[in-house]
Amino acid sequence: MPRIWSALHVPDLPATPRTGLLYNPPAMHWSDVVIESLREHEVWHATYVPDAINWQVLSKLEADPAFTVVPASREEEAVGIAAGIYAGGGRAAMFMQSSGFGNTINGLAQLLTAYRIPVPLFIGMRGGLSEFNEVQVPSARPIPAILDTLHIQHYAPQREDEVQKYVDGAIELAYASRMPVAVLWYAQLVGAKRATS
Amino acid sequence: MQRREGIAALVRRLDNEPVIANLGPATFDLYAAGDRDANLYTWGAMGLASSIALGVALAAPDRKVFVTDGDGSLLMNLGSLATIARQAPENLVHIVWDNRMWYETGGQPTHTSTGTDLGGIALAAGIRNVARAATVEAFEEALDQAIREPGPWFIHVDVEETGEPRQRPKVIVEENLVKFRRTFTG
Ligand SMILES: Cc1ncc(C[n+]2csc(CCOP(=O)(O)OP(=O)(O)O)c2C)c(N)n1
Ligand SMILES: [Mg+2]
Repeated sequence: MPRIWSALHVPDLPATPRTGLLYNPPAMHWSDVVIESLREHEVWHATYVPDAINWQVLSKLEADPAFTVVPASREEEAVGIAAGIYAGGGRAAMFMQSSGFGNTINGLAQLLTAYRIPVPLFIGMRGGLSEFNEVQVPSARPIPAILDTLHIQHYAPQREDEVQKYVDGAIELAYASRMPVAVLWYAQLVGAKRATS
Repeated sequence: MQRREGIAALVRRLDNEPVIANLGPATFDLYAAGDRDANLYTWGAMGLASSIALGVALAAPDRKVFVTDGDGSLLMNLGSLATIARQAPENLVHIVWDNRMWYETGGQPTHTSTGTDLGGIALAAGIRNVARAATVEAFEEALDQAIREPGPWFIHVDVEETGEPRQRPKVIVEENLVKFRRTFTG
């Protein structure tokens, strides 16, 4: 039977265990929080190879005339284009799926890190809770360790009410440190993709 | 013709226009033609020169942006041609010095040595204007047209290597980036 990709499935979030307080989702969807943060920090360009998680941000960015969104053929290329946008006086964020992270490493090392080019990196993390595709697991799992080894700081908001703090903070940190900074979207926040039949 | 003759012809025509150079000989020859703030020299990130130039072209649509690439490096990032074609920046001029080898690593023949045609690939990728040159005169003619007329332009240049030794530029890459960026931000 053919597998059909369903919409993102957001798992039920439990009550916060220590306080017993009920989780109170913020008014804005996490993707809108990202867009407002990019606007606030004048990051008017985005480069990407698509994934279903980041597409929630990118589809709205593409519809917004304030932003220029550039799809690339391969993730390392998207890193190069983002670097060029910064070199040319602008600011660009880069969006990718965890599967594409491996394609970016030489660009992260020999371009962004060596030249001190700040690019906020948004990585849609597969391979975690409720993953059905086993090959996503070994490419996603080492990403935090690889980022550590590259001296690229990374953050992973787990709940919608943390997204603004993390995304604002990561973007500010990137431009202050003139280094790429990564934000990782895990299933805890964005849900897991379901294969339905 | 030689790469350095092509680069000299390019630099003679420039004011504050940015030039992004591929790692190795393209960077060394651009520096040898006279250092300028609007030169961005790459020393690695092999294949990404044209991607960086696309980004610069998108960020600075009022300036003609030049990239001097190598055949081996472009072969590593052919998808870039399709990405450039899709964005179609009128201000981008992509020059490829095709010496049919990975010169920097010892002159091993690349796939263009057995007939792969980068100009043909650029055309098939959808780059609007593709020119070819094997002499300095033909290159200058193509370059003048690319400067006059909207692009994106792809100039495929057959070059010969002479094997002359090169000086390594004295460049600190972080400084290079800061100076280059200031030519846009002031
Ligand atoms: C990702 C990566 N792979 C391999 C190398 C080694 N390397 C350095 S320069 C070069 C050849 C580049 O060839 P080309 O773009 O044709 O330029 P040329 O040296 O002929 O001017 C290679 C393979 C590298 N620096 N980076
Ligand atoms: Mg070559």
